[in-house]
Amino acid sequence: MENTSQVPVTVLTGFLGAGKTTLLNRILTEQHGRKYAVIVNEFGEQGIDNDLVVDADEEVFEMNNGCICCTVRGDLIRILSGLMKRADKLDAIIVETTGLADPAPVAQTFFVDQDVADRTKLDAIVTVADAVHLSSQLVDHHEAEEQIAFADVILLNKVELVEDNDIVKVNDRIRKINPFAKIIKTTRCDAPLDEIVGLNAFSLDRVLDIEPDFLESDHDHEHDDDVTSLSFVSDTPLDMDKFQDWFGNLLRTKGQDILRSKGILNFKGEDERYVFQGVHMLMDASPMGPWPKGKDRSSRVVFIGRDLDNMNLKEGFENCKSA
Amino acid sequence: MNADLETFQKSNKTELERRGSIFNIRAPAIESVTIRNQIAVGFGDGTVRFFQSGFEPKTVKAHEGVVLSMAKYADDVLTGGDDGRFLKISSDGNIEEIFNFGSKWVDCVASHKDTKVCSSGKTVYVWTKNRDKPQTLDHQSTVAGLAFDDKGKRLAVSRYGGVTVWKLNNNKWTSSNYTWKGSHGTVTFSPDTKYIVTAMQENQIHGWRINDKADLEMRGYPSKIKSFTWVGDTPYLVTSGSSDAVCWPFDGKEGPMGRKPIVVANGGKELATFVKALNGEKAVFTGYTDGSVLLAEIDESKKPIMIRSSTGAEVSTIAISNDNSQILIGDMKGSILLSSLWADN
Repeated sequence: MENTSQVPVTVLTGFLGAGKTTLLNRILTEQHGRKYAVIVNEFGEQGIDNDLVVDADEEVFEMNNGCICCTVRGDLIRILSGLMKRADKLDAIIVETTGLADPAPVAQTFFVDQDVADRTKLDAIVTVADAVHLSSQLVDHHEAEEQIAFADVILLNKVELVEDNDIVKVNDRIRKINPFAKIIKTTRCDAPLDEIVGLNAFSLDRVLDIEPDFLESDHDHEHDDDVTSLSFVSDTPLDMDKFQDWFGNLLRTKGQDILRSKGILNFKGEDERYVFQGVHMLMDASPMGPWPKGKDRSSRVVFIGRDLDNMNLKEGFENCKSA
Repeated sequence: MNADLETFQKSNKTELERRGSIFNIRAPAIESVTIRNQIAVGFGDGTVRFFQSGFEPKTVKAHEGVVLSMAKYADDVLTGGDDGRFLKISSDGNIEEIFNFGSKWVDCVASHKDTKVCSSGKTVYVWTKNRDKPQTLDHQSTVAGLAFDDKGKRLAVSRYGGVTVWKLNNNKWTSSNYTWKGSHGTVTFSPDTKYIVTAMQENQIHGWRINDKADLEMRGYPSKIKSFTWVGDTPYLVTSGSSDAVCWPFDGKEGPMGRKPIVVANGGKELATFVKALNGEKAVFTGYTDGSVLLAEIDESKKPIMIRSSTGAEVSTIAISNDNSQILIGDMKGSILLSSLWADN
């Protein structure tokens, strides 16, 4: 449900030194005539001073609801609820996470807490990556992979310090992990703010932007626990019951390893397109109007996660095709 | 079941609205406390306003952003704000800054007689009589609720994973932990101090019998519980979070263990957001998501009375004057109704 009174929240991730503080200072100081609140972590970088900066301790809470990977950010629930009591309306909220934090609990907070979901909405996950160091960080730190995997927008920063062919390599490495994030190459995070804030990337209709011909899945990764992506396309309509059984079971049993999922579905006997997107085992889905006239009705799904090769995803998806 | 609220919604103004005053503050009403013949309300614009029948409200500019929490302290109020200030405010507008935490929020405040308490982050700060410097009580996660028992001997601190109950003996604090998985918010002692109860992040409340730490699980709510109040001599713990006011009996040795709650004041499609006992009576005011308020006896066979009609914004606070003569109802858009409860007043 779209609700115009919901304040959009941008989650900003990235390793220490990648340029998050530069970006936050730009957001707070540029004359854009908008009121942004920024939630920073006290263990993060210093150097931001503004009335609308809120200090947070990253507190990850497990929900007592039997869902094993359902963790939320308790501090965010408290701070967002507090900000929503303000008499003046905020145009947007930006949440900075530390380099070593897993972005999943932040994203899940917007699915799990009803008050947060009623009054705010997750706008996009923006990852600032250091073009010089990203390749080595991806080898050394799981968290770096996850930050790339979760992102809707990746600012590939400090490109002025890297040779052109190395930028191409880093770009390809990012694409193997995350085929749908928008990559913006920047120097001192100098991307226009309207490409970072107010994107509505988690709104279901944005799922329709998935390109049908993005990269084929890649099987040459080095370790089984590397984050990769897989995608499938089908021109045969899917059987709704079969799909719900398969997909529901998949998220229940493998949701911990599936970081993000998105898809547009063509069900047999249904005139409308169905779209979904998920973070781990939490998912949002809805019909999204009729198929455009004269265009192919093809179903397409994307998974980003670990150990995807062992989930029989292709077979499972193929089995959902209607007879 | 008939929705008690829907049968009323067709009518126009209530009797209390006709004889009362309505103020539009244009900032969410956050919390309220009663002081003598005045009712103090903290708002989302940082002001504390003192309401009294027959007078214009007095406005005190207290905090920069939001008044996050409030407690009565003798004839003054204590407030915590998102500007990091812990304040004592008197109804003549005098503000005393007890402590300034800078960029950290003051999330919870509480008091008992001469003792002033607030929390910021994971730490509780306690100012006892004649002490300039606070004592500090540390916890593993951010403090989400504070409550003294009736005699002020014990302080319950809710947090992730349960409640820490602190006792003061010979100027030293000792603690005892009450554990239950999940995140615990607002906390309260039962009036006989035999139980503590918290509202959880999950849609449930949790209680412990203090002497043996026996758990009480109270589940089945469709939404988070934001408010509870002790009603009558039984007593009942009445909670928001459902389309009814849900009333758990805390009499006998076992309290609500294995028993069903009484449900009164059905709001139909509206959920209860705030509940407040009518002092000395077995009756409760229940405010709903649409701004309306019903007064109901804790008796499923009795019909509730409409106190406030819909305002379009959820009821966020209700206060009753000490002599039961006045009621104040505030909502998230800052609409305030101040009215006499009885026609012959």
